[in-house]
Amino acid sequence: MSDFHNRSQLVSTRRSDYVWQYEYYDDEEPVSFDGLKAHRYSIVIGFWVGLAVFVIFMFFVLTLLTKTGAPHQENPDLAEKRHRPEGRLVDINGHQEENDKAFSRPLLDGSPSYFNFYISEEDQAHKKRKLEDKRSSTKDKVGRHLCSSEIEEMHEDIEESGGHQPLNGLIEESKTDKECAFLSHFNIPNFVNLDHSSTLGEDDLLYEPSIILERQSQAHNAHCDTH
Amino acid sequence: MNQTDCPEVKVPFLVFFTVGIISLAENLLVVVAVIRSRNLHSPMYCFMCSLAAFNTIASVTKTWENLMIVLADAGHLEKRGPSETDLDDVMDSLLCMSFVGSKSSFLAIAVDRYITIFHALRYHNIMTMKRTGVILGLIWTLCAVLAVLMVKFFDFKFIVICFTVFFIISLATICFLYIYMFMMARIHARNIAALLGGGRDRSQHQRRWGSNMRGALTLTILFGAFVVCWAPFFVHLIIIVVCPMNPYCECYRSLFELHVVLMMSHALIDPAIYAFRMAELRHTFRKMLFCSGWKLCL
Repeated sequence: MSDFHNRSQLVSTRRSDYVWQYEYYDDEEPVSFDGLKAHRYSIVIGFWVGLAVFVIFMFFVLTLLTKTGAPHQENPDLAEKRHRPEGRLVDINGHQEENDKAFSRPLLDGSPSYFNFYISEEDQAHKKRKLEDKRSSTKDKVGRHLCSSEIEEMHEDIEESGGHQPLNGLIEESKTDKECAFLSHFNIPNFVNLDHSSTLGEDDLLYEPSIILERQSQAHNAHCDTH
Repeated sequence: MNQTDCPEVKVPFLVFFTVGIISLAENLLVVVAVIRSRNLHSPMYCFMCSLAAFNTIASVTKTWENLMIVLADAGHLEKRGPSETDLDDVMDSLLCMSFVGSKSSFLAIAVDRYITIFHALRYHNIMTMKRTGVILGLIWTLCAVLAVLMVKFFDFKFIVICFTVFFIISLATICFLYIYMFMMARIHARNIAALLGGGRDRSQHQRRWGSNMRGALTLTILFGAFVVCWAPFFVHLIIIVVCPMNPYCECYRSLFELHVVLMMSHALIDPAIYAFRMAELRHTFRKMLFCSGWKLCL
């Protein structure tokens, strides 16, 4: 009996030599390394090469995605738009087929469209005055929110064409966005990240033009902030 | 035990400790910043806070575990004692919880960004703070329950299968959501450019190509970091289940500590990818860290 006791003690001390992390390993049966055909780290090398290929492939797929879509399809739209007056709601949404309908749609029909620019000379100044009075208290917060969450490639596009088109206020203000250094990031946009206590979300009528005006005010703030 | 040709690669404890402490500091900073400043109480920042909290738990647990291993190696702790195995169970369940939690937080952030873009005008109705609270509560409860169940009751193989499936599903969903958003953002940018008389300047094309490249690079970093940091560990788990006796698999398993360091470094780079890119959060950090004593700081 004492022999049995000694043997079990020996086994337990041998077990305590194993690494604690590998609780689930059965290290008592050693792995034989005879007769290996390939290099012994072949799985490791294969795994990392595969991973690198995957990441590079993903990068190329993403850059290829940016080149899909036909630019020449947009030219007929462009010719149409040039003949239209400027006071027009431009409805940008995610569906190509709706773009043609967008320009004949009335100002605010409450459809869940992605982005609405209100490009009009006379209303902008008027609404700007009204809304800035209304939201002067939260202007700082809103400005900082939106500055951190623009759609920067849209801004860049607007900036680039800004010198050619009289989109008042918007373009001049968005040029100051160049000072916002983080425009060079691809920030997944969260441009509606207003102060959650604001009730503007309920008020659709004021909401669409207010996006432009907020961007103006925040661009102004950003210009000040970065100095 | 026979001599193996693939000796275990040992990573010095200092590396683990440094990575753990830095990731703990970063994530704790994010959590404190979001909780303390009122203008960061929005759904997006709440999800990032939850992600940072899970990463904090993971770093604390991992660092603590490594500390205990060092102590055990030095002989101060008994490896198979009852209290040690209980502690080990607790740490394993915390790690499970933080893993499932961080993946769920990624999913929540991706869905939130998706709703922001594609249902922008109804965003405030869809994603209220109350719903955010409910979602976060669900995520935390689910993680805690899963963690306890996994560690107490289930077989190791079952856990591995579950985790791997969850990992692949969440990776695929996040991948799909982000690529879809990316494509739509491209289409919209092109629409706006066309509307505003774009396509006339070569410089505009070049600049748009530049911004496209940046977008692609950002997404690649997002996914690349996720995959590079987590995949080795998962392949390790799969290999334990599938081929424990194979010498090639043994050589892969010998790199276990390197893979654990990679996993911990994901908690380190997460704030850099998600939280520190938001200018609002950076502004709050600056205020917190540098202006804490000065009344003049606005």
